[in-house]
Amino acid sequence: MSVLDRLPSGRGDRALIAGLVCLLLGALFAVTPLRAQLPSALYVFVEVGILFVIYGILVLGLDLQYGHTGLVNFGHVVFFAVGAYATAMLTAQDTFAGIGLGYPWPLGLAVGVIAAAVLGAAVSLTSIRLRGDFLAIVTLATAEIFHSIFVNFENIFGGNVGILGVPRPIASLVSDSDTRLVATLLVLGGVTLVTLAVVTRLTDAPYGRVLRAIRADELVTRSVGKSTITYKTQAFVYGAALAGLAGGLFALYNGAVAPGFFTIQVTVTVWIGMLLGGAANHRAVLAGLSIIMGLRLISRFALNVTPVSSDVFASIRLIVVGLILVAVIRYRPAGIWGDPQELGVDQ
Amino acid sequence: MSLLSAEGLVKEFGGLRAIDGLSVSIEDGELVGVMGPNGAGKSTFFNCVSGVISPDGGTVSLKGSDVTGDSPELLAHRGLVRTFQNTRELETMTVRDNVRLAAPDQPGERTLPALLRSGSMQEREGTVRERADELIEMFELDHLADEYSSNLSGGQRKLLELARTLMLDPDVLMLDEPFAGVNPTLTREIADHVRDLNEDGMTVVIIEHELETLTELVDRLIVLQQGQLLVEGDPEMVLKDERVIEAYLGGDAK
Repeated sequence: MSVLDRLPSGRGDRALIAGLVCLLLGALFAVTPLRAQLPSALYVFVEVGILFVIYGILVLGLDLQYGHTGLVNFGHVVFFAVGAYATAMLTAQDTFAGIGLGYPWPLGLAVGVIAAAVLGAAVSLTSIRLRGDFLAIVTLATAEIFHSIFVNFENIFGGNVGILGVPRPIASLVSDSDTRLVATLLVLGGVTLVTLAVVTRLTDAPYGRVLRAIRADELVTRSVGKSTITYKTQAFVYGAALAGLAGGLFALYNGAVAPGFFTIQVTVTVWIGMLLGGAANHRAVLAGLSIIMGLRLISRFALNVTPVSSDVFASIRLIVVGLILVAVIRYRPAGIWGDPQELGVDQ
Repeated sequence: MSLLSAEGLVKEFGGLRAIDGLSVSIEDGELVGVMGPNGAGKSTFFNCVSGVISPDGGTVSLKGSDVTGDSPELLAHRGLVRTFQNTRELETMTVRDNVRLAAPDQPGERTLPALLRSGSMQEREGTVRERADELIEMFELDHLADEYSSNLSGGQRKLLELARTLMLDPDVLMLDEPFAGVNPTLTREIADHVRDLNEDGMTVVIIEHELETLTELVDRLIVLQQGQLLVEGDPEMVLKDERVIEAYLGGDAK
């Protein structure tokens, strides 16, 4: 057997290439006179698609924490929010309320990632040594605390209105809305694919083996010489940083941030997506997320043809999501594409 | 200077002194058995020495340096590795990955080399895989190499745990009841492996209740009772010692 046969597999390289192609195509639409035309029926698909690829980065980060390392983070939205707010406050101009410093967007995005990573590190330092359920409580509480901070410190965070006037780099380059949507989807989708390639490399390497060993039995992992606290902290911080990246991209796409975008609903959506698809499998968690978000899309259409009000309909949708989750946990506890033996569940 | 020694070790759980001023020393290349009735403090002694818990008093030294309260990962780097009484496999990983995991000095366990798929990581992984396969073959687990370790029998788990610890090429190997729940054939097999390792120069400390195998195997027996050293010495002599008989069978057995 040659050395080449022994290398960690090259999975994820296709994602890297596809991601780069998407970024290139997106850039092509953004900077050349090339224009796209969308049938109006497709608008909603592209819009949900953009949200999906942003949430895709979130779910990949969460899966690095929970699926691979076994860290229970019930406050994932807080890192998303902190990334978004940091980016928004650094870059916004003429914001209605709160701080807007008007720096260039690449700096804002970088600071968004760093801010989320720093918060992740702070949560890790205080809580990662605790048993898993305590980390769950701390993360949940952190998310709630930050939510109130964003709402209540109006002079800084703009209260319920949030931060307006965030630059939209793609929108500023492309004037017509069809091309703008397509370019945004391609660029953000490209970032998600590159993220997929990066986390795949990390988890396919011996690094990922240590993470999975920690999930299986931390004491054994320590007794064979691995500093598990370091790995847990890193995995948590990387997941938080990815959420910060997603947040920054969201702010720069949306042109505004507000507390309403960062409710516990976001955490719930990515958790359900991850569990539905199958934790510890990058593609599966993305697929699971697409099911949950696809359901949202279907329900938008269904709303038009059902006689109930939108409030009632939203409740029905929650019931349907709940039933799906119950069914998955009952019949496929490892998720649709998850490996029950790898996740240690009976199926 | 002994390779591994404990001086005046104390560990309390609530009001209970599980280890009560225990001093033990183990020489380089020795094969030592630790026995004692239930609750004598054998596992607590192992846990204190291997860094799983910190002793409340006393010192542990390894190769002349004080390692009291050091973490298990640090001790593993210094050459002391242990197994657990109830086998602890990484059940959600394959047999192969269980063994490969334990390899030391893999640069691919750091973020940047992992992301860049560095040459040093790939080179190391090549030797890691070769060594892991050797060990898996040595313990006759090769037909199970790609099975999840949750599918292994009790005896196979003991073998896997041994293979995993050997991946670290330790100076001191501490085995916590390696024969418990293992059939006689496999017990002999494990004992043979332990003897071979010891003959190759590895220092081995074994906790065991299976006295027959233990006394045949070890150079020296240490008997604990109520967290203290009761008797130590030649296995044959120790087993004939009245204090040992009394500790095991109660005062009326004479």
